[in-house]
Amino acid sequence: MRRETEIERLYDGHAQPLYAFLLNLTRDEADTRDLLQDIFVKLAREPELLSGVRDERAFLIRLAHNAAIDLIRLRGTRDKTKENFAAETVSPFAPANDPDEKIFREELASALAELPEEQHAVVHLKLWEELTFEEIAAALDISPNTAASRYRYGLDKLRDRLRPLHEEMKKAE
Amino acid sequence: MMNEEMEQFERRLSRQSLRRIPAEWRAEILREGRRAAVAGIGDAGTASLPILNWRMALANFFWPHPKAWAGLAAVWILIFAVDFSVRDKSPVVAEKAVPPSPEVIVELKQQQQMLAELIGANQAREAGLPRFLPQPRSERVEILMT
Repeated sequence: MRRETEIERLYDGHAQPLYAFLLNLTRDEADTRDLLQDIFVKLAREPELLSGVRDERAFLIRLAHNAAIDLIRLRGTRDKTKENFAAETVSPFAPANDPDEKIFREELASALAELPEEQHAVVHLKLWEELTFEEIAAALDISPNTAASRYRYGLDKLRDRLRPLHEEMKKAE
Repeated sequence: MMNEEMEQFERRLSRQSLRRIPAEWRAEILREGRRAAVAGIGDAGTASLPILNWRMALANFFWPHPKAWAGLAAVWILIFAVDFSVRDKSPVVAEKAVPPSPEVIVELKQQQQMLAELIGANQAREAGLPRFLPQPRSERVEILMT
């Protein structure tokens, strides 16, 4: 009974950010669902994993990141051996009502997908989880300097890609 | 100037709201979690006393004389081997059996034909008879009285 309530607490506290992170990395809702379920099943089966963990969120992000990386690598080898033309990707962003915002989100989703995975993860955690570089470093098992430089490189690429749209929207505002 | 522009860009990016997790996933994932938790407890319970005692008892029973048990197993294997080799011969015997002669086949066919005719004639006779319909007992008494 205590395990059940513990899993419910973890889900309610962390499922949304983990979902957003996983969806942003995998771009596939079914894969995200599987990975998320695997994480919570693992936690239910091995509750001792969290004992002694100071930052639950960072720990769960690390679990999610490792799971996503494994999946992306597996997908890479699978796609090399199998032709996969009909791979539909899901945007990690909510649908927008404003047409300009809609176009911006589509472009942003596409630009994010083109980032190397390590920059992609850091950019997501910094922009949408609002983690500090120290927290990102702890979650991804890298140094804060590495986290900061990955973020800077990633952001530069996004800006180069989205500059025309951003400028246009700035003028309209 | 450059920094300010970059900050504006960052702010625009972070303003983009992310997709929400489908609400129905909660129940499904938690159900799987509960199942895993129960299985986890079950796994931990495998080291519990009854199964462990049973295994130990079995080991204690078999271990003292392993050669004797191995000899017994060998005897059983030999018995099975002999049994299978005997069974293997029966289809060979059947294959070697002489097929019936054409005269016997003709005789059998004639008998079958005769039987079919007899059954057919019997059925035709039965078709000609009025069918017996059971009546209530009171009606039968009235018929006898008249």
